[in-house]
Amino acid sequence: MITGRLYDIQGFSVQDGPGIRTTAFLKGCPLRCPWCHSPESQAFYKQLSWMSMRCLGLDACRSRCVSACPKGAIEEGEKRVDVATGDELRMVHVKRDLCDNCGACADKCYAEALTLCGKDYTPDELVARLLQDKNFFDTSGGGVTISGGEPLSQIDFVEAVLKGLKENGIHVALDTTGFAPWEALERTLPYVDLYLYDLKHMDSAKHEATVGVPNERIKENAKLLAEAGKSLQVRIPVIPMFNDDEENIRATAEFCAKLGEAVVLVQLLPYHNMGVMKYLRISDGKPLEATPPSDEKMEKLRDLMASYGLNVTIH
Amino acid sequence: MYQNAPISDRVAYIRAMYRNKKPKIDICRYKIVTEYYMNNPQVTGILRRGRVMRELFEKMPTPVHDHELIVGHPGVEYRSSALYPEHSFYWFFDEIDTFATRDTDPYDLDPEDRKYIEETGRFWDKNCTCAAIDEVYPDEYREHVMGNGVLNFLPVNNCQHPMGHYCGNFWTVVDKGLGSVLQEAREKKAAMLEKGLGGEDGKTYQFYRAIELVTEGLIIYTKRYAKECLRQAETCTDEKRKAELLDMADRLDRVIEKPCESYHDALQACFMYQLALLLESQPHGISYGRLDQYCGKYLEADLASGKLTVEQAQELTDMFILKVAEINKVWSERATKSGPGYTAGQLITLGGIDKDGNDVTNAMTYMVMQSSARLKLHNPPLALRVHAGTPDELWEAGIETTKQVGGVPCFEWDDVAIEALVRRGIALEDARNYCLIGCVEPCSCGNDLADSGGDGHDSYTILPAAFWCAINNGVNPGKFPGSTDKPTGLPTGYLKDMTSMQQVLDAYKAQIEYFTKWQVSLVNCYEHLYAEMMPLPMLSATLTGCMESGKDATWGGAKYNNCGNTSIGHGNVADSLNIIDQICFRNKIVTPAELYDALINNWEGYEDLHQYIVGKCVHFGNNDPEADKYLKFVADTYSESITRGVSARGCHWTAGCWPVTLNVVYGGWCAATPDGRKYGAPLSDGISPVQSMDKNGPFATINSILKFDQSNYANGTLCNMKFHPTALQGAEGAKKLRAVMETYFRGGGMELQINVVSAETLRAAQKNPKEYQDLVVRIAGFSAYFVEVYKAAQDDLIRRTELSV
Repeated sequence: MITGRLYDIQGFSVQDGPGIRTTAFLKGCPLRCPWCHSPESQAFYKQLSWMSMRCLGLDACRSRCVSACPKGAIEEGEKRVDVATGDELRMVHVKRDLCDNCGACADKCYAEALTLCGKDYTPDELVARLLQDKNFFDTSGGGVTISGGEPLSQIDFVEAVLKGLKENGIHVALDTTGFAPWEALERTLPYVDLYLYDLKHMDSAKHEATVGVPNERIKENAKLLAEAGKSLQVRIPVIPMFNDDEENIRATAEFCAKLGEAVVLVQLLPYHNMGVMKYLRISDGKPLEATPPSDEKMEKLRDLMASYGLNVTIH
Repeated sequence: MYQNAPISDRVAYIRAMYRNKKPKIDICRYKIVTEYYMNNPQVTGILRRGRVMRELFEKMPTPVHDHELIVGHPGVEYRSSALYPEHSFYWFFDEIDTFATRDTDPYDLDPEDRKYIEETGRFWDKNCTCAAIDEVYPDEYREHVMGNGVLNFLPVNNCQHPMGHYCGNFWTVVDKGLGSVLQEAREKKAAMLEKGLGGEDGKTYQFYRAIELVTEGLIIYTKRYAKECLRQAETCTDEKRKAELLDMADRLDRVIEKPCESYHDALQACFMYQLALLLESQPHGISYGRLDQYCGKYLEADLASGKLTVEQAQELTDMFILKVAEINKVWSERATKSGPGYTAGQLITLGGIDKDGNDVTNAMTYMVMQSSARLKLHNPPLALRVHAGTPDELWEAGIETTKQVGGVPCFEWDDVAIEALVRRGIALEDARNYCLIGCVEPCSCGNDLADSGGDGHDSYTILPAAFWCAINNGVNPGKFPGSTDKPTGLPTGYLKDMTSMQQVLDAYKAQIEYFTKWQVSLVNCYEHLYAEMMPLPMLSATLTGCMESGKDATWGGAKYNNCGNTSIGHGNVADSLNIIDQICFRNKIVTPAELYDALINNWEGYEDLHQYIVGKCVHFGNNDPEADKYLKFVADTYSESITRGVSARGCHWTAGCWPVTLNVVYGGWCAATPDGRKYGAPLSDGISPVQSMDKNGPFATINSILKFDQSNYANGTLCNMKFHPTALQGAEGAKKLRAVMETYFRGGGMELQINVVSAETLRAAQKNPKEYQDLVVRIAGFSAYFVEVYKAAQDDLIRRTELSV
């Protein structure tokens, strides 16, 4: 049976398409954007995640996680002071080089500080879960957004889910990097009402040097979607020192303008560093940190793109 | 986008006075009532009430403060509070030293006033209603049931609060004037005497006699204010103010007695009649009803004729709202915990439909909300009725107001409330004319004695305490004032001996039926005596049905009657049953005996189990059918049991679920519960899931809550939602908030109140109250300035699930 792997489902999404939506986040992505604010979305395998704020400390849980680990990958780590009680808690540390993400510790972590990130669904299970929120879609003009990771990497599953949603009359948006074979995108055409389509850089070499893959296929797929008569909401993460120069923004605007009426909206998404802490949940490393672009800078870029006749918003 | 217009200087002056003046206790009313009762023990029943009211109307001070355009106050000083010793007074002596210094809602008391009270107040020990009521409760209750923690009847002092929670018929006040009622009472009296007083007529005659006393009294009282305006005008050197005072004098000489002729007339008349209702009983949920419906037509006529500009009308509305806000009530320390923030529950209802189902939004609907928003006033509370035909602009105004003034207005969905009232036996056209009373209780406006709050603190049914009796052979292990180790409930056995879920459910149901039966029995004893000692002729003068039937409202004279109750802790019991089923019977993680032991020991020695329940079990509130299935059981068990009760006025009782802040107080007295709650932690809020146990986001929370039929709760339900401001920015955000609300309503939700505030802001306000003086938050059935709320309730507010992206 086909299954798909998700790392989260969020109701009350207000930024991922029209109305109020429920967004299903699929796990795994072929890109490695250094600014990615959902690092847990990148790997296709299940990953052990540790949230320090939830850790009750080894005294309270009697080190259940430490003893549950067959690999000896969990050890005593830093201490933190509990805000409510003032107690000093002995937290744990995950030795990532020893951890094989088996999840034995997570089963024993009742506080859900340790969890296994990644849950498998059959298409029917996911559709049933998403349909629970249908009443909200109906009153708000919302629907479901399939996001990731890169959902097209799990195309068999995604196609089945899309089909199930469409059969129930749900408005569907697909949030994609565009980095997938056209054949995969083509299979989604009958079911998707709106594509949330990321454009990160117009220069393929720079694109590849930073996120790990070139951009030709992404640009080509965007053109094919436009030719197929689909609607695109283009999303541009504005990353300082990477794609926020005038030359690239102009090139992006030109590209979007050429796609014509297919582009219903361009969203400029200013870089934020709220994802930084999430890296520590699944690894020892932190991503590169940058200063978020100023409001003035964002407004300038918005006006620049709007001068190409595009409908542009910030956020 | 909806915007606030700037306020006028005089409104700013009054508002500053309202925010800066510490209320004091005024003893004018106390003196008049005490002297009358002391000197006239031969006068009893409704005649006594009529005569006391007459005394008050002839002797109360008639303050007219600077800048005021609408007048009336139950004391001398601005924002002072009257006393009501004839209900209950011994509590006052217990707290006399701490009124000025207590944490929540302090009051000053002048030394000479205190001296007078100390010299006279003990008279009330045996002469107040409370003392008499304590006598009529069955001995069996005292011996076998008291101290249960489910109901709140105590050895003494059982009606500290009066029968409140109703709304007069203001249409009579503005459109006809009380002169017409006075005339009618005189004619009825004459006709009765002509015929001769046979059978029950002797009682009926006294009723009309009391009506004559109070209606004529109120006309006199109003004219006394007119005289005071004239007196001030004579010496006033400011020509503009002088003209105003003369205009006010002219108005006060006319209104109340005669029909209103203008918007200003209508506001003054309504305020004066409400003041009379407050003097008769107490500010205990006495509500204004559909203000925009009975006053709006005067506003629209004045705007159309050019008599008033929009700015003038808005200023008048501001001043009316500030007048209503100025009224407060001295509560006991304990009662203050249920309604902190100098609240008086004078709820105003706006919007909705008419008897034919058409939307009735008018200019005043917007103006009242504008006043609340631009003055940042939590008091009076506002309720906005919404339905499928509510105009977009009104939704927008309501949401913008609620964002600015935390939770004002609350939103009530017509379909569900009207259905609930129709099930109560109210005709559809009257049900469509409903208003909300007190906090969130629907009642037919102008013809229904709602009595939705019961008699004060006796109207709550604490479900988790009944649950404890169910699993502990009738003993509630919680410790609280008056608690006992003896069995107070039915001997339904111990959880440790139970072998099936059905046994647990049967035991719980038996306890609820037992306690609701006692609730009804005791309040009905109370009501019979109350009707004898404390009739309400001022209310009965307008409330449809009373003049027609010749019966006071407390005797069942109104067209409709209600007797309301409310429950606390749906979420805790529903989730506790779910957890017992899950871990004891379905998954067999622990035995009922082990869980029982863990609860009795407040989880000590069972830390693993506690962590497992909190972290790994599926809880009510996450839209999981198995976990949610007991909500309906808990909701229906209580509502079916309480509505079986028949009140002293012949109506059936009604179920409600709104805790004010008592979920915190009663939680403090409730032992650990299987949902993972520890001893003393707050109970769940309104109909919401247990705090922090709804982990799947707002859609799941809402869909879980919707799993019981709220139209069986004619006494109202309450649902708090808190949104992070970032989730709702701009016009788009407001639209999305409306969509969430509409989804809740269309799924069967009755009431919603919204806080758009971040937990960080609340924490900051807790630390630096000075900087957050005007931060208004929705507490429960009412809003308050956050900084005036006691700390435990502040903490509970912060803990409530913050719905955000």
